[in-house]
Amino acid sequence: MLSRRKTLLGTLAALTALGISACGTGAGTGQNQAASLIPELGKDQKVEITFESYNLAQAGVWTDTIKGLIGDFETAHPNITVHAQAPQGGGAVGSNTVSSVQTQLLAGHAPDVSQLTFDSLDFAATQLGAQPISDLVGAKAVEDHLDGAHPFHPNAKHLGDWNGKTYGVPYVFSTPVLFYNASLLAKAGVTDPDLSTWDKVADVAKKVSAVTGKPALDLNCTSKGGSWCMQGIFKSNGAQVLSDDRKTIGFGSDAAVDTVSKLAALSKEGVLRNADINAQYEGVIKGDTAMVVTSSALQGMLMQASKKAGWQLKDAAMPGFAGKQAVPTNSGSALFILSSDPAKQRAAWEFIKWMTSDKAYTEISSKIGYLPLRTGLTEKGGSLYEWAQKNPLLAPNLAQLDRLQPWVSYPGNSYVQVDDILATAVENAVYYGKDPKQTMTDAAKRAQDLIH
Amino acid sequence: MAFVIVEPHAPLKTVSVGEGTSALRRAAARGRLGRVPAHLLLILLAVVSIYPVYWMFVTAFRPGDEALSTSPLPGPVTLDNFAYVWKTIPMGGMLLNTFGMASLLAVAQLLVAVLASYGFARWSFAGKKALYLLFVGSWLVPFQVTMIPNYLMVSQMGLLNTVAGVVLPQLCSAFAVMMLRQHLESFPRELMDAAQMDGRNAWQTLWQVVIPNLRPALAALAIMLFISAWNEYLWPTLIMQKSQDLVQVGVRAFLGAEGNNWGAVMAASAMACLPVFLIYVFLQRYVVDAFVRSGLK
Repeated sequence: MLSRRKTLLGTLAALTALGISACGTGAGTGQNQAASLIPELGKDQKVEITFESYNLAQAGVWTDTIKGLIGDFETAHPNITVHAQAPQGGGAVGSNTVSSVQTQLLAGHAPDVSQLTFDSLDFAATQLGAQPISDLVGAKAVEDHLDGAHPFHPNAKHLGDWNGKTYGVPYVFSTPVLFYNASLLAKAGVTDPDLSTWDKVADVAKKVSAVTGKPALDLNCTSKGGSWCMQGIFKSNGAQVLSDDRKTIGFGSDAAVDTVSKLAALSKEGVLRNADINAQYEGVIKGDTAMVVTSSALQGMLMQASKKAGWQLKDAAMPGFAGKQAVPTNSGSALFILSSDPAKQRAAWEFIKWMTSDKAYTEISSKIGYLPLRTGLTEKGGSLYEWAQKNPLLAPNLAQLDRLQPWVSYPGNSYVQVDDILATAVENAVYYGKDPKQTMTDAAKRAQDLIH
Repeated sequence: MAFVIVEPHAPLKTVSVGEGTSALRRAAARGRLGRVPAHLLLILLAVVSIYPVYWMFVTAFRPGDEALSTSPLPGPVTLDNFAYVWKTIPMGGMLLNTFGMASLLAVAQLLVAVLASYGFARWSFAGKKALYLLFVGSWLVPFQVTMIPNYLMVSQMGLLNTVAGVVLPQLCSAFAVMMLRQHLESFPRELMDAAQMDGRNAWQTLWQVVIPNLRPALAALAIMLFISAWNEYLWPTLIMQKSQDLVQVGVRAFLGAEGNNWGAVMAASAMACLPVFLIYVFLQRYVVDAFVRSGLK
C-alpha cells in the first residue's frame, strides 16, 4: 500500500517537475537571486504568509503545539499573518510534503514556508525553487540565529545547507534508537544489557526468543520507509549510499553488500522479525517483539504504552558493528522559504526564526517529544533541563548526536524512486533470501541510471 | 460446437399418494441438504465482509491502551475514543459538511444524468453513438489522470478549500448517465408519444411522465451516488487543504509518523460510517436494488 502510494507520488513528482521548470520556478530562480539582502518590514507593513507543515496533519499535541506557536508569533508580530495548512493529498504524515508543494506550484500558489524532509534537500534546492536563505538575509544573520543563547548542535546546524548556502533551517528531527522491553528481557535473564553492537543485540535477542518462541528484534531501517536509518547502518560499516562527489551510487559496493549480508544473517538466525514498518511500530507494544530500532520520535508513544501495560521501557543508542563505531543518521525536516516576494520572504524568515527559537523548542520538545536541536536547553539552567532529567530515555538520543551524519538526499528528479529501489533490494536480501551481492549490485545499477 | 449426451428418461413408475408425498419430502430434504454448502459459503463470505466493520466498532469501544488487543470481544466498553475524537476535531461540523457535499454531488450528478440520458434515449441525432462512447470513455479514464488538470482548473477558479471546489469537477457522472440511459431506452415509447399527443413538450414529458415512472430507479441511483460521494477521500484531501471540513479528511488526522492512534481512527471511522449505515438500515430495499441494477452486487 505504502509502496503503491510512493509510486503514485513518484509519478506525480516526475510529471510535475516538468511543469514546474516551465513555470520558471526552478533552480535558476533561487540561484540567480540578487545578492542584495531583502529589506526589513516596515512597522505597519502588513504581510500574509502561508506555512505548510506535516505536523498540522496530525490531530492532538502536534496540531495544538504548532498552532499555539503560530498564535504566539502573530501576537509578537501583529503585522504578519500566518495561514497554516497541512500538506494536501492523502499520503502518510511526512510522506507527501514535496508532492504537495509541487502541485501547488503548478497552480501558482506554493506555500511561502514549507516543512520539507531532508531527503528532498537536493530536489528542493535545485528543482523546487527553495530560496537560499543565507543570500536573502545574509550568512551572518543565519549563523547568529543558529547560535544564540543555546546554539544548535554542531552536527544539526547545517543539515539544510546546499552548495555552501543555507536553504533550509533544521527544524525537527529524530535519530535511530534501540528501544526495548526491559521487563521482558529480565524474564529471559537479561538485565542491564550491553546493546552496543549487532552481535550483542543478537545474543540478547536469542535469549529472549528462547523464552517467547518468537523473533525478538524489529529493525525499521531494513523495511520500506526506513531508508533514512539504513543509510546510518551502511555508514557504520564503512559503506555509503552515494559518493562524496554525489555522482556514484554506493549501495552496490562490497562494504554495502557485507552490511546487508550481516543483517540477512540476523534474519536467518531468527533474530530479526519480518514485518512491515507499521507493524514494527506496534510490535513492542503488543509484545510481539522485545526490541525495536526505530525513530526516537516514537518515544512518547512507547512510554505511554509501557506505562499503561506495566512494563519497563529502556533504550540504547543505535548499535554498530563489532570494532566499528555506529554512525546514526537523522530523519526529520527543515523549514524552507519558497516565496519570491521580498516582503513575504522577510516575514517568512521572521517566522522561521520564531519556530526554531529557544521558546519553540521548549514547546515542541516538551509537548510533542521531538529532539531539541538547541541541545543546550537540556543542560542545567536551560528551559528543558527538568524535562530532560525526567526523561532518561533522551540521553542515548542526545549523546549520539555527536556522531550524527546527514540523511543523504539523492540528486535528480527520481530521488524517491532511488530510495524505493534501495529499500526493495534491502528487504529482498534481508528477509526473502535473495543473494545480497546480486541484489545490491543490480539495485545500484538501476539507481545509477536514475541519478543522471 | 459442443455435443451433449442426453440420458433417456427412465420409464415412469406408478406411485401411490402416500409414497408420492414422502418422495416429495425426500426430494425437498435432498434439495435443502444440497443448498447447505452454498449457504456455508455465503455465511463465510458474509463473515469475511462484516468482520472488518465489526473490528472497527470493537476497537472504537475499547480503552485507548487496548487498541492493539487481538481479542475479538471489546472487553471493558468505553466511549473515551469517541469523546477524544469529538474533542480533538470538529466532528459534528465535518459530518454536516460531508453530508452537504455528498447530497449536493448526488443531486447534481442525478440531474445531469437525467437530462443526458433523456437526450440519448429520446432523440436520434448525428454523432449520437460517438457522443455516448465519449461518455463511456470518460468513465474509463482513471482519476489519477484527471486529478492535476482538475486541480489547476479549480485553483484558477479560486475554489480551493471550498466544498464547491470538491463538487464542481464531478458534476457529471458517466456511470450515472450509462445506468439511466439503459432505463430510458426500455421506457415505453408509447407513453412519450401519448404525452406529446396530449400537448406536452419534451421538457414537460420528462418531468410529468418519465420521472414519476422512473422514481425507484432514480432513488436507487441517488443512494449509490451519495454513498460514492460520501466515501471520496483523495480528491477532498487535495482541495480542502487549509481546513478539515470533510470527515474523510478528519479521519486521517489520527494517523501520524509518530504512531497511529488506532482507537481514535476507529472511533472517527465509525462515526463517518454512521450516515451511510443509517441509509442502509432505512432504505435497504433501494440500496440493494441500486447494486443489483448496476450489476455490482
